[in-house]
Amino acid sequence: MAAAEPKGHGQHSGMWIYPDAKVISQDVSEKSKDMAKPFRTALVVTGILFILAIVGFIARAADDGFDEIGPWGYYTALFSMLFMVTSGAPLAACAFRFTKSHWRRPLSRVAELFSIVSILNLLMFIPMMIVLPSLENPAGSVEGQMELRRSIWFEGPIGAPHAWNLAGVAFLTITSIAILWTSAIADMGEARHSATGLKGWLYRKLAGGWYGTKRQWNVQKAGLALLGAFYFMIVVFMHFTISSDYAQSLIPGWKDSIFPVLYTVTAFQASLGAILVTLFILRRWGGYEGYIGKSTFWSASKVLLGLTLLWVYHLFAFFITFWYGRLEVEQNIIKYLIVDTYSVIFLLNLAFSFVLPFAVLVWNPVRRSDWGPSLAGLLALIGGLMFNIRIFVGSANAAPGENIYHFLLHKVPAPVYPDIWDLFIVVGGLGAAVFIYLVSTRILPILSIWEVKEGTFYQKWGKLHRGEYQILGKPE
Amino acid sequence: MQEGKPLQSKQINRELLLTILNSPKWFFTTVSVLGIIVMVAMGAAGYMINQGFGVTGLNRPVMWGFFITNFVFWIGISHAGVMLSAILRLSKAEWRRPATRAAEILTVFSLMTAMTMPLIHTGRPWRTVYWIYTLPFVPYDYARGIWPNVRTPLVWDPSAVYTYLTSSILFVVVALIPDFAVLRDRTTGMSHRIYGLLAMGWQGNARQWKLQIIAGVLLSALILPVFVSVHSIVSWDFGMAVSVKSWHSTVFAPYFVVGAVHSGVSAVAFVLILLRYVYGWQNYIRHEHIDALARLLVVVATGWFYFLVMEILFGFYGREADEIAVRDYQFMVSPWNIWMMIFVGVTYFLPVAIWLSRSARRNLWIMSLACISVNIGMWLERFLIIVPGLARKQLLTFDWYTYTPSAVEWIIVGGTFAMVTMLMLVIARVVPLIPLYDIKEGEILRTEIKIGRVTVPAVFRED
Repeated sequence: MAAAEPKGHGQHSGMWIYPDAKVISQDVSEKSKDMAKPFRTALVVTGILFILAIVGFIARAADDGFDEIGPWGYYTALFSMLFMVTSGAPLAACAFRFTKSHWRRPLSRVAELFSIVSILNLLMFIPMMIVLPSLENPAGSVEGQMELRRSIWFEGPIGAPHAWNLAGVAFLTITSIAILWTSAIADMGEARHSATGLKGWLYRKLAGGWYGTKRQWNVQKAGLALLGAFYFMIVVFMHFTISSDYAQSLIPGWKDSIFPVLYTVTAFQASLGAILVTLFILRRWGGYEGYIGKSTFWSASKVLLGLTLLWVYHLFAFFITFWYGRLEVEQNIIKYLIVDTYSVIFLLNLAFSFVLPFAVLVWNPVRRSDWGPSLAGLLALIGGLMFNIRIFVGSANAAPGENIYHFLLHKVPAPVYPDIWDLFIVVGGLGAAVFIYLVSTRILPILSIWEVKEGTFYQKWGKLHRGEYQILGKPE
Repeated sequence: MQEGKPLQSKQINRELLLTILNSPKWFFTTVSVLGIIVMVAMGAAGYMINQGFGVTGLNRPVMWGFFITNFVFWIGISHAGVMLSAILRLSKAEWRRPATRAAEILTVFSLMTAMTMPLIHTGRPWRTVYWIYTLPFVPYDYARGIWPNVRTPLVWDPSAVYTYLTSSILFVVVALIPDFAVLRDRTTGMSHRIYGLLAMGWQGNARQWKLQIIAGVLLSALILPVFVSVHSIVSWDFGMAVSVKSWHSTVFAPYFVVGAVHSGVSAVAFVLILLRYVYGWQNYIRHEHIDALARLLVVVATGWFYFLVMEILFGFYGREADEIAVRDYQFMVSPWNIWMMIFVGVTYFLPVAIWLSRSARRNLWIMSLACISVNIGMWLERFLIIVPGLARKQLLTFDWYTYTPSAVEWIIVGGTFAMVTMLMLVIARVVPLIPLYDIKEGEILRTEIKIGRVTVPAVFRED
C-alpha cells in the first residue's frame, strides 16, 4: 500500500492523497518493470501503426517526390501536431515546477517523457526541410511576382529558413532531453545498483556520479530552473518560426501577427491535454491511483480552462480584425481557412478546441473528477489535430508552384482531401508517437520519484478549529 | 512566503483604520495642492473648449495626441484591479491580501479619469449625447439621414468601459461590506449612520460570510471577460482602422491587454510602497509582497515584450511601402527613434533587470524606480503607437506632418495624475485601503510545518 486513504471532505471528498515516502521508490520501480497484457497489446498495436506510417511515408515519397510541399500537407500537419505536444509538455513540467505548485509532482515526469518522442519529430523534420519552397523566386524578377517571398527571415541569413529551422528543432529536442536527464538523474542514481541489464548499464552511465549530496541537489535544482527558462525561450521562438515558415509565409498576403501566439496557445493546450490523458490512464489502469490524486486533475483543469479561453480569444482577435478590415486578401484568407474551403474542419476545430472542452470544464464537480479534465484534454488534443490539418494542409496547398511568389491571395483555393497514404501517415504517425512514449516508460520511471517524495514532506493533513484541512508548506 | 510576526485582530483594526479615524497633518495640505492642480487642469480644458482645438497641437493628419494617449494609459492602469484581485483571488495566492483593495480602488478612479479624456478630446463634449441617445427629445437632425454609427469601435469602447466601471464598483463594494461593518461599530453620529447603511445589516454570521465569499468569487469570474474585453476594444479603436497601416494588426488586442496589466500591476506596486511609507503599514505591506509582485511582473513584462516583438516584426513582414514609412519614422527619424529606444529600455530592459535580483526586489526605493519607469514607458508606448502612425497615414508625402503637444495639453494630462492621486488620498479617509477581513483570514490560515530540523511556513487550504 503506497498511500493512505484519500482525504478531503464535502465537495472535495477524496481529493488529496498522501503517499508513504518509505515505499515509493520500490513500488514505482516494480510498476515500471511490469509488462502487463494491456501494455503489451498497446505496444503491438502502436508498433503496427508505426510500420503503417513508414509505409505511408515511402509511398508518398515514391508517388510525389520532394519537389512540392502540396502533397506533404498532411505530413506537415502531423509533424506540427506532434511538435506541439512534444515541445509543450516538458515546458508544462518546468512551468509548474517554477511556480512551486505541489500538485504538479506526479505530473512532472509524465510531461518530461514526451521529450523522447521529440526525437521522432526531429527525424520527421528532415523531409519537411527539403519540401519547403525557396525564399528566392527561381524565375528571378517577374512581373506580378516577388523576387523574395515574404518570410520572417527577410533577406537572410544564409541557409534560411531550412537549415535554421532544422537547427532549432534539433536544439529544442536536445534541450528537452537535457531537462529529462537533469530531472531523472536522482531517480536513476537511486536505482542504478538495483537495476539490471540495459537499464542498469544506462543508469550507471547517466547517473554514475550521483550521491544525493546537498551540493548535487542544489546544482540539480538550479540546472532545472535555468534549463527551463532557456527551453521556454526556444519553444516560443520555434513555434514562431514553424508557424510562420510552414503556414503563414506559404499563403501570399497572409500577414497575421497573432498567428504565432495562437499556435503557441494551441500547443500548450494540446500538450496539457496529452498529459492529462496520460495521467488518467495511469491512475485508472496503471496502478498509480495512490500517487496521482484528484487534486492534480483539479488544479491542471483550471489551467486547461484558462488556455481554452485564451485560444478562442486569440482566434477571435484574428478573425474580427480581418473581418472588419474588409481588405480583399484578408477576406480571401478568412474564406479559405474559416468560412468556406476548410469550414467543416474549422467547425470541428472550434468545437474540439473551445466549445466542448469549455462545456466540460466550466462545471466544478466535473473539474474535481479525474475523468472530466482528462476528457477535456482528449477533446483539446483532437481540436489541436483539426487546427493543424486546417492550417498546414491549407497553407501547403494555397499557392502551388510559382503562385507562392505572388503578392496576394487573389482567389480562394479548393480543399485538399487526404488520400490513403495521408491516412497511413497521420494515423500511423500518431501511433508511432504513442509507441515511443510507451517504450520510454520502460526505461525511466513514469513518476518523478524524488519529487513525489519531496511532496510528502510539504503536504500534510491537519486540524484547524473544528475541521481538518490540507496544509501546504511553501519553502521560501 | 510568510514573513513578519503574527498579527492580532485588535491590532489589525487599530492600525488599518488609522487613516480613517485620524488625519495626519500633511493630509489637508497635500489634498489642497492636488485640488488646485486639478482645478487648473479643468480651467485649461474649459479654455480649450471655449477657444477650440487651435490651442492644442492637434492638426491634420495627427488628430489624436496627448488626450487619447492618456485615455489608453489610464484604461491600462485600471487593469491592475482585476489582475490582482480577481485572478489572484481565484488562484488563491496568499500574497494578494494587502494589495487587492488599493488595486480595486485604483481601477475605479483610473477608469473615471480615463473617461474624461475622450470627452475633452471631442472638443464639444455635449455632443457625445448623440452617440448614446437616439430619442426624440434629443435635438438631432435625423431628417438629414445622419445617424450615429453603432458599428464603429468608438461606440463599443464607451460601452465596454462603462460596463467595466460598473462591475468594478460592484466588486469594490461587495468586498467592502465586512469592513464597513467594522467602521460602523467604531464611529458615531453621521458617520455611524452612513457606514451602517453601507454595511447593509452585516453581522458577520456564517450565512453572510458564505454569501459574501460566493459573491466575491462569482464577481471575480464574471469580471474577467469584461476586463479582457475593455482593453481589447480599446485596441480595436486602432486595429480596425485599415487606413493607418501600423495599426491594422491582429495582435493588438492581447498586446494591449498584457501591456495594461504590466502598467497596472506596476502602478499598484508603487502605490503599495507609498502607502507603506505614508501610513507606516510595515506589518501589512511587507517586502515579501513587493517581491511577489515583482516576480509576477517579470512574467507579465516578458509576455508583453513577446507581443511587442510580434507587432514590430510583422510590421516589417508585409513589406508594404506605407507601413514601412511608419516604421521608418518610428525607428529611424529623430526624435521618434530616441523615444522608441527609451520606451523599450524603461518598459522592459531596465525593470526586468532590476526584478531579476532578489535584493533589488526587496529594496523599496529601487522597486519604486522600476515601477515608475514601467509607467513612463507604457505612456510612451501609446504615444508612439498613435502619433507616428497618424503622421504617416497619407500616401503622398506632402500630407505627412508631425505633432507637438501644446501647454494646454500638458496641463490637462498633468491634471489627471493629480486627480487620481487626490482621489486615492481622499478615499483613504473613508475606507481602509487594506482589507481588514482579508488580512485577518490570512492570519488564521497561516501555520508552519516541521521538516527535519527546518520549520517551513505553510497555509491551510480548503481546496
